[in-house]
Amino acid sequence: MVPLPFRIKVKNAESGATVEMELENDNTIDEVIESAATFWNKEMGAYVVRKGKKVLRGTMALADAGVREDDMLELVPDPEGG
Amino acid sequence: MTQVICAISSLPLPMEEMIRPFDFDGDRFDRSRRIDWLDVNAISQTKVLMVGAGALGNEAGKNLALSGFRNITVVDMDTVAVSNLSRCLFFRESDAADERFKAELVADGINGLAGGRSARAVTAPIEEAASDLFRGSDVVLGCLDNVLARTHVNGQSYRAGKLYVDGGMEGLTGRVMVVRPPDGACLQCGMNKSHAKVASLRFSCTGVETVFHEPRLAAEITTTSVLAAIMVREIAKHTSGRDDLMLSNMLYYDGKQNRMEELEISRNPDCLVHHN
Repeated sequence: MVPLPFRIKVKNAESGATVEMELENDNTIDEVIESAATFWNKEMGAYVVRKGKKVLRGTMALADAGVREDDMLELVPDPEGG
Repeated sequence: MTQVICAISSLPLPMEEMIRPFDFDGDRFDRSRRIDWLDVNAISQTKVLMVGAGALGNEAGKNLALSGFRNITVVDMDTVAVSNLSRCLFFRESDAADERFKAELVADGINGLAGGRSARAVTAPIEEAASDLFRGSDVVLGCLDNVLARTHVNGQSYRAGKLYVDGGMEGLTGRVMVVRPPDGACLQCGMNKSHAKVASLRFSCTGVETVFHEPRLAAEITTTSVLAAIMVREIAKHTSGRDDLMLSNMLYYDGKQNRMEELEISRNPDCLVHHN
């Protein structure tokens, strides 16, 4: 069976901008982070993705992380400086 | 009138203690003692290991000293640069010229504020410091500037069973993470591929630390002050036996949009820290 793609929105916590992303259930949170960070030219830093209050684990597949059609995820910087 | 006063003063006093107006102003911690949940005595006896003596280390050191912490070990291998001076209370221009160790200056600064010998400096990389340093402390404060050192301190603190409060910042954003072994998530549970990528940029393909990737991060003092205040307050809560008031694990701060929000990181069953 061919997996059906679905769409979510990802918000850039720093700028407030959003981007729509087409994904499949077996895509991972790491892939969402990498795609969004690259889209916003953020490759150099560390980021996490949150859904509501929950920070989603990088290795999780979207289905396991409970990410569904029309969800809004937020790309949040995990700053390195001290 | 004089007779009346003599008569009163000749009576035996029922009270054992005598007070004078404004006596309380002679106690350095009088105002802190008025905060009912704060245990000033416990704070003075708590052994704090502070790793990192940069911007966050300066602010956290100041807060520790003024809060009454009196047993602090400051670890940092770096020396002062002129560019540090916009964010570091305890550094002077001459310290950069003299290549003074940050850890020594922060320890000196703490001792100056505390009015005694409360802090000592270790000027070695934390990776080379003895693990006794973690076992011998009650709490660990992470004021670091890179993922690798954070991962190391997180692991060591967890293995030693010590509370670890870590801060990170860039520009007007930052986050504070609280790790309470053996419960809940640790710092590494919240990391992903992007952290690994940042960490890997410090190493060559042979695994030897020969490529120094040090992007110049945006940094400014107001963000530092906010984060360091939260970090030391979390340690004060823990030391005062009020873990119920503490962050569950992560606080995200965005000074540009005036947002401060607690986020949840769940424990990663595959996290190596919990399996060692």
